[in-house]
Amino acid sequence: MKELRLAKKILKTLIKDRIQYPGRLFADTFGIIARCGILLVLYAYVFKINNGVINGTTFDIAAWSMFFYFSFSTLGLRGISRSMMQDINSGHIEVLLSKPITYLLYRSWWQIGMGLYSFIVISIFSTLVLAAIVGMPQTMTVGLFLPTFFLAFIGAILLSLCIYAIVGLLAFWIEDVAPVFWIIDKAVMILGGSYLPVALFPDLMYKITLYSPFGASLFITHTVYESWATVWHKLIGIQVFWVLVLGVVVYMMFRQAVKRVSVNGG
Amino acid sequence: MNQNSIVVANLSKTFSFPVKSVSDGWLKNLFSPEIHKIVAVDNISFSVSAGERIAFIGPNGAGKSTTIKMLTGILFPTSGSISVLGLDPTKDRKKLAYHIGTVFGQRSQLLPNLPLTDSLEFFGVMYGMSDKEIQDRVAELVVLFDIASFINQPVRKLSLGQRMRAEVAAALIHRPEIIFLDEPTIGLDVVAKKTLRDLLIMINKEEKVTIFLTSHDVGDIESLCERTIIVNHGTILKDLPTQELTKTFAYEKYIDLISKTSFKHFPKLPNGATYSARGKNKITVAVDIKILTVQESLRKLLDLFDVEDVEVYGTELETVIRHMYERAPTSKKNS
Repeated sequence: MKELRLAKKILKTLIKDRIQYPGRLFADTFGIIARCGILLVLYAYVFKINNGVINGTTFDIAAWSMFFYFSFSTLGLRGISRSMMQDINSGHIEVLLSKPITYLLYRSWWQIGMGLYSFIVISIFSTLVLAAIVGMPQTMTVGLFLPTFFLAFIGAILLSLCIYAIVGLLAFWIEDVAPVFWIIDKAVMILGGSYLPVALFPDLMYKITLYSPFGASLFITHTVYESWATVWHKLIGIQVFWVLVLGVVVYMMFRQAVKRVSVNGG
Repeated sequence: MNQNSIVVANLSKTFSFPVKSVSDGWLKNLFSPEIHKIVAVDNISFSVSAGERIAFIGPNGAGKSTTIKMLTGILFPTSGSISVLGLDPTKDRKKLAYHIGTVFGQRSQLLPNLPLTDSLEFFGVMYGMSDKEIQDRVAELVVLFDIASFINQPVRKLSLGQRMRAEVAAALIHRPEIIFLDEPTIGLDVVAKKTLRDLLIMINKEEKVTIFLTSHDVGDIESLCERTIIVNHGTILKDLPTQELTKTFAYEKYIDLISKTSFKHFPKLPNGATYSARGKNKITVAVDIKILTVQESLRKLLDLFDVEDVEVYGTELETVIRHMYERAPTSKKNS
């Protein structure tokens, strides 16, 4: 109960913080327009020269799939790696460890809170714009879509936090986690379907996407495809599996890591 | 004042880290690097009574911050035992955190972009206080710390003195029984230092909060702490009431001689007296009163020098502490 009240307070405090500094919202909005917008324009052209259908997928479905990736990215959960690395390298972790909090949970809620305002505003606005421009595919209007999308979204949050927390915790062992972060982040981006919609992946890559935690962390990009109706329980199951496995890894790493805390001073 | 708040027994902390050797290949450096060990705290024992104001001092690298961090559960000891309010910080870190407050002078715990009031409320929730309790406590702290004038300002816009007052107020939001302060007056001007010291004495007296403080500032120790533990190279050199610290070097007196015209010659001084400072206008002589009395030394010095004025004074606390640091054995513990 205390943890939930603190989580609520973190979210409220950070939303208040973000509202006071709208510059970040503009930056995030510009970022999504620049990255997602340019890709969608390019894919619109590619689909057009292929008579509107590639590998059985139409442009509107590909567009929504990619949009889900970019919209989710505005939550900025990957930033947990950098926050943790900064805590560890700067010694700020001592301030947090002297408080009655569970560090991993606190950092997770903090990361969600940091991006929540931008995510809500940008997602609502962009959904309306995209719906107006490319329309809403039939797969998003069936009753199954919203509840399963919600499950995949929760799974995406948990799995992303686990993956990037592992990278952040590595800072206890290696000084600079930036190269590891870069590799993991690019794996998530590619397997998550940011550059190429997952429906256009070759077989082997699609299998890697399905069974690796990197691809599984962005199964929300699969929710718009027709196949989702038949495979959603399998994909959610894979997400649950990885959340459990990586959750244990994060916990074990943290237990070892706190014994390695060394802060300047004295 | 009888009940022990903190009991430390045979506490040690060794930091180990790999060191890359130029002569070894990268493979050896990667998988079997040379391990360098630093003993930061070496088998120390002490206890602190409830309500005490204690200074834990030492030069840089003495092990004071490492000790404070072990007492708060941030660092794990290599050996020895710690009991803070009957809890083991290693095993009960979260439980202990509800009963202690911490202020790290070089790090801020406040939310930089939001008004101070948000930080205070935030910490209130973090410590599981009800909304009513938070409201009442914030009102109390506003009066106690005189922070009403800047409570609605974003923290990043506060002066360092205001911020430190705010940091201490935030650390006290949950009425802790002990407050650990790691160099709280670092960087503050003399007025801000005095204000903070007065506030700490007040909360010690009014709220019976035990104060455990590390500092390099002699003023903090003299005006704030009734007991001082001096550490160096991870070991305790002295543990005594602060008032007795100066008595430790009470046999040493200083005599300032102010010249009538100008000092040109510096003759050999009588046994027991040594030059502490030599200048054209002023000479300072250190006298060991076990060898030479003040009266005798004054008589001999006046025979040697043509002076306009004379001042005799005892050893300042800062000098006492410096002597102690200098006389401590050098470290043999790093490998």
